[in-house]
Amino acid sequence: MIDFLYTNGWGAFIVMLLLQIPFLIVFFSVVNKKAFVDSEPSRTEPGKYSFARYSWLVIVVVAFFAINITSIKYMPTIIDANAASEDVTEVNVKARSWLYEISNKTYKVGETVRFIAESVDTVHSFAVYHPNGKLLFTMMLVPGAGTQSALTHTFTEPGEYKVRCLEYCGVAHHAMKNTLTVVN
Amino acid sequence: MSTAINIIEKVPFFGRMFKLEDNELNAVNAWPSLMAMTSFIWFFIAAVLGLTMPAIQFLDLGSNWYYQNITLHGAAMAFPFAFQLMVGMSLHRAGACLGKRADGLLVSLFYIFMNLGALLLTVAVLAGFHVTYTVMFPLPVVGVATGQWSMWVLVLGFSGIALVLTSMIFIYPIKILRMSFFEKKDENLQLAERSLKDPGMVGMIMGVLVLLVTGTPLMITATPLLLHLYGLLPAAWIAWAADPVVFEFVFYIFAHNLMEAMAIMVIGAVYATLPLCLADGARKLYSDKIANLALWILLVTSLTSFFHHFFTMYPALPATFVYHGNIMSYATAIGGALTIFTILATIWKHGIVATPALMLILGGFVMYILDGVSAIIISNVAWNFQLHGTMWAGGHAMVVLIAISALWMGMLYYHYPLMTNRVIDDSIARKSIKYFFLSYIGLFYSFAAAGAAGMPRRNAAWETEWYIYGALILIFGFMLLYAFVLYFLSLTKSKEIGY
Repeated sequence: MIDFLYTNGWGAFIVMLLLQIPFLIVFFSVVNKKAFVDSEPSRTEPGKYSFARYSWLVIVVVAFFAINITSIKYMPTIIDANAASEDVTEVNVKARSWLYEISNKTYKVGETVRFIAESVDTVHSFAVYHPNGKLLFTMMLVPGAGTQSALTHTFTEPGEYKVRCLEYCGVAHHAMKNTLTVVN
Repeated sequence: MSTAINIIEKVPFFGRMFKLEDNELNAVNAWPSLMAMTSFIWFFIAAVLGLTMPAIQFLDLGSNWYYQNITLHGAAMAFPFAFQLMVGMSLHRAGACLGKRADGLLVSLFYIFMNLGALLLTVAVLAGFHVTYTVMFPLPVVGVATGQWSMWVLVLGFSGIALVLTSMIFIYPIKILRMSFFEKKDENLQLAERSLKDPGMVGMIMGVLVLLVTGTPLMITATPLLLHLYGLLPAAWIAWAADPVVFEFVFYIFAHNLMEAMAIMVIGAVYATLPLCLADGARKLYSDKIANLALWILLVTSLTSFFHHFFTMYPALPATFVYHGNIMSYATAIGGALTIFTILATIWKHGIVATPALMLILGGFVMYILDGVSAIIISNVAWNFQLHGTMWAGGHAMVVLIAISALWMGMLYYHYPLMTNRVIDDSIARKSIKYFFLSYIGLFYSFAAAGAAGMPRRNAAWETEWYIYGALILIFGFMLLYAFVLYFLSLTKSKEIGY
């Protein structure tokens, strides 16, 4: 469940809804009551406002700590550290308008690949899509950054993985594609 | 008669929204009205261009047209529409609250620079300068080298951008700061007295300072580039400014904080307007101190949260900046949470009069908070690697502008009688607000869902599985345009006070 939430765009969508729906309910309830049902001043005791304020802040802070602490496992630095002890295949990627030069495009299921990528002209990205259409990750490639962008990923399923550029790079940006193959 | 009133009178349809009498209040009404009117014209052009984008995909009309329209749509929405509307309304507020003139050289220069710059950029884009509104440096230069557009088009486009940025980064902030601290007060113009400690005024001053401080490095970097393009500086002198990393960072330090400044300013305006619409006539917020604290938290945390634009450069962006950007982005939500509390506590304590102005302002605030949640989600490092560069990010930029515009349009409803001596058509206004909110919700979740499904932003070749999101965006886009048309009608059908 946690894996799904943090490794999938739809996981982000669900968490977003979980944060937004309570806000919408509370906000519209208060506005509806005080605008249309009973707009008379409320006789709520001052202490209750303070309690509500502190409770609300505690909820927000706890929610944000929970979201971010749980996500640490999925950050690239941690993934890199975990992969350090494994056998990692290094793949060099050079992006230019509007093509990729990829040193190795075929991998085995279970193989951990470290993509080391750079752009030689303008800003590009190296985004890899699962065969089912899900975006696995994207890397932003800014020319002249000094250090190449790098990301480690373990392929767990066979199939054709599409590569796309997600940073607008000119009139043929949409045609900047490639394919990676993962075999059993 | 003021030049601004003369121009307004000559413009068909849009000019009818701001029929002004020639009186002593023109010093705070005329130029703000002209800016609001001009911003609506830009909106109309930008909206039509926006609606053509899904249509181009469905009818397979070609990528060039798509990239042209996405550049024009984004640039027109962000600058001559949303920003100009904000400037018009904030000049009126500053003038009427502080008793200072909202006209003169700086105001007319802002108007000329903003609109002339936007026109030059439009001509350049129509001539092939398809760089999107984020410029994507060094793409403008690479585009010339690869034959995508010509050098004169680049010079024209950059000249337009330079005029727009000068108006936003220098002229407008200097005018607001002069009005706030230096210019002579005219008691006759002070229609609703406010002090500089008032949260509404604090938000405005913070906003313009953010523009000035974060925009200046961009201008220092962009000016040598432009001078080189004009042939005034040799290439060797400007190499430092042409470094893509330098330019991208100064650009996003400004662009990110531009949105934050607009948000801080508009939250300040909500703090100023909500107390005026309370049912018990208390005319005060639940707590000015908490309101001001929220603004300060938003200001301080948002300044360095811009790193989230570069998370996916890892490790070219060092991990320490990645974490800092993640933490600061989430810390902005503390300011947001305090703002939500202040607004709800004020409403709960005093009750509200549900005028169209207040309903649009509160609707805009809800839109702003919903978008803020999507923004902090994508500012988490783990999610950023799956959402950056998708429609989630594109949608965030778009809907935050809709939210901010809705808030300023609500302010315009509130100030309209004072500006024009006319009252809006109440029933059309309420209908407009309903469609405004529904279309926003539709657009917001369509963009977010498209991003969650991995649909790239700014991509002229949609895959079949993405068409559903494009169709939804088209439908809700039409609905939003309808809401705006109703909004315009509520102004053109306004009636003179006393009739």
